Amino acid sequence: MNSNTVSIVISGVGGQGVLTLAEILAKAALSDSHNVRVGEIHGMAQRGGHVVCTVRIGAGAQGPIVDPGTANLLVGFEPVETLREAHMIREDGCVLLSSHIQYPVAVSMGNASYPPNKEIIDSIRKFTNRILEFDAMAMAKEAGSSRALNMIMLGAIIGTGLTPITEEAAIDAVRSTFSKKFESINIKAVKMGREKVEDLNR
Amino acid sequence: MTKPKQLLEDNVGKEILLLGNESIARGVLEAGVRLVALYPGTPSSEIGNNLTFMAPHIPDFYFEFSTNEKVALEVAGAAAVAGVRSMMVCKGPGLNVAADPFFSLAYVGVRGGMVIIVADDPSMWSSQNENDSRYYALMGNMPLIEPSDPSEAKSMLLQAYEISEKLELPILFRTTTRINHTRSPVTFGPIQDRPKKVEFVKDPFRFVPIPSVARIRHSWLLKQIELAMEISESTELNFTIGSGNLGIITSGVSYNYVVEALSTLNIDAETLKLGMTHPVPEKMISEFLKRHKQVMIVEELDPFLETHARRIAQLNGIKTNILGKEQGFFPRTLEYSPRIVIEALSKILNCNTSINWKTIDQKASEILELPPRPPLLCAGCPHRATYYAIRVATRGKAIYPSDIGCYTLSISPPLETADILFDMGSSITTACGLAEVTDQDVVATIGDSTFFAAGLPGIANAVYNQHRISLVILDNHTTAMTGHQPHPGTGVTGMQEKVPPLNIAKVCKGLGVEYVKTIDPFASLADLVAAVREMTTWTRENHKPSVLVSIAPCALLEAAERRKTGEFPTPYYVDSELCNSCKRCLNRLSCPAMYLDTETGQAVIDQTMCNYCGTCVAVCPQGAIKQEDV
Repeated sequence: MNSNTVSIVISGVGGQGVLTLAEILAKAALSDSHNVRVGEIHGMAQRGGHVVCTVRIGAGAQGPIVDPGTANLLVGFEPVETLREAHMIREDGCVLLSSHIQYPVAVSMGNASYPPNKEIIDSIRKFTNRILEFDAMAMAKEAGSSRALNMIMLGAIIGTGLTPITEEAAIDAVRSTFSKKFESINIKAVKMGREKVEDLNR
Repeated sequence: MTKPKQLLEDNVGKEILLLGNESIARGVLEAGVRLVALYPGTPSSEIGNNLTFMAPHIPDFYFEFSTNEKVALEVAGAAAVAGVRSMMVCKGPGLNVAADPFFSLAYVGVRGGMVIIVADDPSMWSSQNENDSRYYALMGNMPLIEPSDPSEAKSMLLQAYEISEKLELPILFRTTTRINHTRSPVTFGPIQDRPKKVEFVKDPFRFVPIPSVARIRHSWLLKQIELAMEISESTELNFTIGSGNLGIITSGVSYNYVVEALSTLNIDAETLKLGMTHPVPEKMISEFLKRHKQVMIVEELDPFLETHARRIAQLNGIKTNILGKEQGFFPRTLEYSPRIVIEALSKILNCNTSINWKTIDQKASEILELPPRPPLLCAGCPHRATYYAIRVATRGKAIYPSDIGCYTLSISPPLETADILFDMGSSITTACGLAEVTDQDVVATIGDSTFFAAGLPGIANAVYNQHRISLVILDNHTTAMTGHQPHPGTGVTGMQEKVPPLNIAKVCKGLGVEYVKTIDPFASLADLVAAVREMTTWTRENHKPSVLVSIAPCALLEAAERRKTGEFPTPYYVDSELCNSCKRCLNRLSCPAMYLDTETGQAVIDQTMCNYCGTCVAVCPQGAIKQEDV
């Protein structure tokens, strides 16, 4: 809300690593001495359902909640889940959208249809014009594991330059959080995500 | 992830990012708590999840996952009566389970400090109701403390123990989801030692509330609450901040939204932030009301502080305009946000909101209809196979009483096997009631942890009163929904010791159930269907309860184990030569690892999500789903 606070909304599907990304972001922010809040939802929400999580960085961050129209950054792990939270973004806010689709069961059962990509993007545009779209799942696989999807998004967030988080702090947070086994994949994914967004912004 | 090991660090002054629940777990250490007992319940779960791994490393400390909240409160209550510091933790509905000892405990009081943590869940992110536990403090006359963030969750916990010992009363320490599940910087304080063992000094005419004792204790309790009021008037937990014509009274997480809203709108106001909310500081509130012509009350859920404020104003003849829920400035349901406070402020002060939310809401409502994505049983969940079998065996025509756990998710299509639910253990007892007043078959389901928590009295009831019910116990060896805590059937204790597990089938037989069978839901789907059919037939013919225990470990635990070992079974796939696009697998199982390829019209198994249960193989009439050869 305050100009000295960056609000990030992360939206995805349970199991994609949304909560972990939020924690890494916050850890990195704190290590650079920024005040930070993370809002998480556990339990019922984790079982393959829609998951949304908030990260707020800066002196004005008192509570975890991000109100509609106040997010500087919307990080979408999946197209429909990005659009589901599009109302959270500020008019000048930026949307990161991974284009890889994870079909909801209702769609597979034929009880609902998955909107075409163009309609999704057009709908998000009603809230902001700054949309950066890329296939983070393909990039994660290229980095070495589909489970590194959230690390691609972490890099992408840094690449926007909208947060005070440095790549060094982010990588340190990744190192101190995960086992050595996946370290090189994770770090590679962070760099790929950052480069991708820098390219798209160029 | 913050590791339990980090919470053990003796590193005073260290600033670390903690979840509210982790901060409370750390607080246990800093307050020198000797015993913690709890039954897991979201949003309080991570308190126990951390303590159980910390416990073996803390000298003179005992932690247990009790069988339910009533048990936990009694275990912890007795420890505090004996003279050590103790804690009980539960979610909002868990305090309802523990209500009986709660009231007695306030009468007899404690010798060592005691804190009862209750995690309420405004917005019901993971609960069946959003009842406001603050009324327990009022009704039971127990002092109430409410932190507003993870940092206060720890600092106020330490103060709660001090106050508890001063008053010889347990303290109700109420959090809400946005405190339990908010992560923020928290600073470590010094760790306190705990006593090895204490001597229990008998005082039966205090600790046994027979009527003659209880009559004396009730008056004692009311006197203690008067003393508590003095503390409430002077404690730094209750303070005012800022200045201005407008007054705001708030507590808990709402305080943050007040601070943000005032800052966003650039409004001056004096805020009375209450950390101790029972008894409320009446003089302090009375003086505050006198200072302001308008006082806005900001609190989630029920008008608890608001009612107090109106009562205090009436008692003191104060004419202040108290603005809260009664006049519709604030909602009584769901959690709050800065927006809700900003909108109330703009109405009261007749100014514009910082953002035009009407436009945003309008735009949001115009968004094309999105496919829903509710939580589901995980890929590979053994409950999916069991529910599929229950549905097939009863042709969807039985009544399906459900219970509390992941398996309530079977409410969704296509399984649709959850028809009635009140609370923990109600699957069995609602089945009893339904069986008496209908002619329909009744097939109830309950999880293993819930079975031990609240199922046993229901089974005894069904056996003794000869209720015509079939009960399928879904045994996945864990308390899955709340984050995989052990229970009496798992063979691990809260202290991480291995002990002999209780055997569910034997327990049922011991309670007198004549028909008890066990089955592996992944062995053969046809056998599973036959087993359910057989039990329902037996129940109908014998007019007695039957039990089928369906045993297979939680898919998430299996998946974690595979990632650890790096050993994966060969993948399952849909043979496109054989698949005739009937979609039976998709329509009957709703497995999140399967989706429809819109180009081919065939089902596809997502290899990144499949958990190798193989249930879909038996569901396919074409035999098109196969496992790759080794």
